[in-house]
Amino acid sequence: MSKLKIEAEVNGRKITRETEPHKRLLDFLRDDLNLTGTKEGCGAGECGTCSVFVDGKLVKSCLMPVAKASGARIETIEGLATPGELTPMQRAFHKTGASQCGYCIPGMVMAATSALRENPAADIEEIKERLGGNICRCTGYTKIFEAVEMARSVIAGDLPETVLEEDKVGDSYIGANVRRLDAPAKVSGRLKYAADMKLPDMLQMQVLRSPHAHARILSIDTSEAEAMDGVACVITSDDVPGTDGFGVFVHDQPIMARGKVRHVGEAVAAVAAEDLVTARRALSKIKVEYEELPGLFDPEDALKPGAPVIHDYAPGNVVKHIPVRKGDIDAGFAAADIVLEDDFSTQQVEHAYLEPEAGIAYVDPDDVVVVISPSQNITHHRHMLAEIIAKPINKVRFIMSPVGGGFGGKEDMIYQGMLALAAMKTHRPVQLNFTREESLIASAKRHPSRVHYKMGLKWNGRITAIEFNMLSDGGAYGMSSEGVMRKAAILSCGPYEVDNLKVDTTAVYTNNTPSGAFRTFGGMQAQFATESMMDMAAEALDMDPFEIRRLNMMKIGAKTHTQQTLETASLDRVLDAAETASRWETGAPNVRGAKRGDLNGPDTRKPCTLGARIKAETKSKNDAERVA
Amino acid sequence: MLTYDTYHMPTTLEEALTIWAASPEGSRLVSGATDILPWAREGRAGDVHLPELVDVTRISELNGYAFENGRVRLGANTVYQDFLTDRVLMRNLPCMPYCAIWFADDQIREQASLTGNLVNASPVADGTPAVVALNGEIELARLENGEIARRRIAVVDFIEGPGRTQIARDEIATAVILDTASGYGGSFQKVGQRRSLVISVACCAALVKADHTGRIFEDVRLALGGVGPRPIRMYDAERALRGETISHALIDKVARSAAELVGSRSRQDYRREVVVNFVRAALQDALADQSDVEIKFQDTREQAHV
Repeated sequence: MSKLKIEAEVNGRKITRETEPHKRLLDFLRDDLNLTGTKEGCGAGECGTCSVFVDGKLVKSCLMPVAKASGARIETIEGLATPGELTPMQRAFHKTGASQCGYCIPGMVMAATSALRENPAADIEEIKERLGGNICRCTGYTKIFEAVEMARSVIAGDLPETVLEEDKVGDSYIGANVRRLDAPAKVSGRLKYAADMKLPDMLQMQVLRSPHAHARILSIDTSEAEAMDGVACVITSDDVPGTDGFGVFVHDQPIMARGKVRHVGEAVAAVAAEDLVTARRALSKIKVEYEELPGLFDPEDALKPGAPVIHDYAPGNVVKHIPVRKGDIDAGFAAADIVLEDDFSTQQVEHAYLEPEAGIAYVDPDDVVVVISPSQNITHHRHMLAEIIAKPINKVRFIMSPVGGGFGGKEDMIYQGMLALAAMKTHRPVQLNFTREESLIASAKRHPSRVHYKMGLKWNGRITAIEFNMLSDGGAYGMSSEGVMRKAAILSCGPYEVDNLKVDTTAVYTNNTPSGAFRTFGGMQAQFATESMMDMAAEALDMDPFEIRRLNMMKIGAKTHTQQTLETASLDRVLDAAETASRWETGAPNVRGAKRGDLNGPDTRKPCTLGARIKAETKSKNDAERVA
Repeated sequence: MLTYDTYHMPTTLEEALTIWAASPEGSRLVSGATDILPWAREGRAGDVHLPELVDVTRISELNGYAFENGRVRLGANTVYQDFLTDRVLMRNLPCMPYCAIWFADDQIREQASLTGNLVNASPVADGTPAVVALNGEIELARLENGEIARRRIAVVDFIEGPGRTQIARDEIATAVILDTASGYGGSFQKVGQRRSLVISVACCAALVKADHTGRIFEDVRLALGGVGPRPIRMYDAERALRGETISHALIDKVARSAAELVGSRSRQDYRREVVVNFVRAALQDALADQSDVEIKFQDTREQAHV
């Protein structure tokens, strides 16, 4: 492969480099020029983290072959301000707290900078439109938009530059606008996430993943891959020296598939090579023979007699069952004037943090195995890895790199073990950066859940009994299922005092992508059922939804579902605040239909309309013609 | 991951055609490259190695645009963002800014060309119905005995099906030729999951010119995308409107007839419903987009049922 010569101006400096012709501008900036402020969030032009200016136009560098940048003037996040300084836009992001995990932020700052360069007077609708190619998963965008509007007004001289400075804090930090300590590193692109770090002599890892949901592995032949020029090692579960198995509660997951695969995308083997292309080519040389097994894809099938068994230790396919009992359920339903019954289901959800999983492992001179990764649980990972690689705990070290979004999805040790094994086998640093597709296929998801709900009420709206039965799809491995089921059970019937209840939450094994931790940890699935049921009860009893909730809410002295006596309670204030803020029109949910007066009031997000700049353009054209 | 041995950046059309004609089988022409890079990824084509890529964006003959006999010839290097920044194009191609604003996002619009969008021939390409409404033709060039030979084909015929066009192996698309429609109101309708980076389920482009009284449809152009393997020009609907008095009742009647045009095999009921609403909204928006005429509907609009 012949090299390509790239001459360009990057951040005001002339550069000349020889590089591989197939590189994208993104690879060239990150790998050849070490400009790692430009991030790779998806590699497919969807997320915007890789946005840079090429000849003054903002583009996505993951969609640009590097040759296109030859002879061009390129500006990256590192070049917006002189070192040590921040632009007004970067300062505004700092001021409003627009950066949280920070991974989308360099791209956001670039898109925001471009928006104001294109139209220094852009209004909020146009700003939203111009930032449409950039995704953030932490902020909900509000603080980002606030920052762009602030920067626009400061640059235009409509606001004094002092608004960018930190607000004074009075007697209390509670309620004060305090700037984030790590924001300058994030808005300038200087913060190094795991994929941005480089160590001398570092190898690149790629992972061979299962195409089958449930299959026995008959053989793995790695010889051809191992013989390839540039391949440093190939690892499989045979390379695990200790007791294989990790998981947040039950250690049922091997570092790589051992004997069989249990879901599509499970790691089967991994290659560490001199470069990414060699590692990927080596994957295609690994031969795996599978014998497909019947799979389980519906949690109800997993509980049927004679269902395929996914883990030998759990012949009934149950990961965890959490029962909660309180009072006398039969008496409660007998006392009810009305009994409502319904089913609620929620789907699998991906966290989609902007930073795909990434990590580095190396063995230090004292034989300490070091793993750097954005793990949300490094101490637990350290203990588990020590068992897996048969080392005392003082010979295993985990370093937590900045987490570019986790939301629970980075609690599971799904790749750190492979990195450790390859580093131990080669005594060289090894890096693995997931692609977005790999992150989607291999990482845990929110549990898809089904709730069968039965609620007994008096005519006055008081709940007499609840039977709550949740079945969750745990997927192929246990991960956080036990904790998620426990939390779902504890929160099941919501913040309402229920004297008689019978709650069961169960997670089962299937051959779907494993389910794990995700914000609310089971609470969301349970509350979707409970709060929907409360609204349906209000409708059935012709009551106001706030009224029925106030009637049943836990107050000071109430006993929770798990029979803890509450010493404080605040639901009354929460309901008052929600009722006021929503300008609620009192009445049963079905009384006025679409003619409610409390819909679409101020502060309601309007449906998005496109073309703000076209309207602005037409307006200015008409104004100009009128003047002429 | 996309890898290749050579990336060509010819600067003249003759050079490009020579390189392209000589390139090994499996080589690809590249314009903005915004489709080919996501294509070579897991879940689509996977890892792909190609012998050569021939990039057309530095060919100077493909830059810019020129007017010719009531038509505008857009060089193949015209990108989507141009329809949002170039006032002359915005005025003369009134449906293109609305089409462009729905296309991908600001960054991708800077790279992605209209011509590349047509040659890729996705059934849900945003550009196709807008171009078809503007009686678009595509210009193709090849080398014949060392001379550049060009031909033009109507875009409605050029696209034969998903990913299939009439372009020959040794041809390069060099321009798109469109009617100018200054004085028309334009609109573009599209459904997708969100504001940016949406691949449409269906889309509709409209151009409307009312007479000076604002009461009569002087001319109407309507085209649908995403409802079948090829773009659809709604000639019957256009005839039903041309010369008629502008009324909500007539728009509704014509819109309802659009459901019959849905040929897609998937989500048919949904697409039939969407298309009817699209045609209605497209006509209303295009009427509202007429800047110099105040539109006077013959009837008042019925209260929408909620």
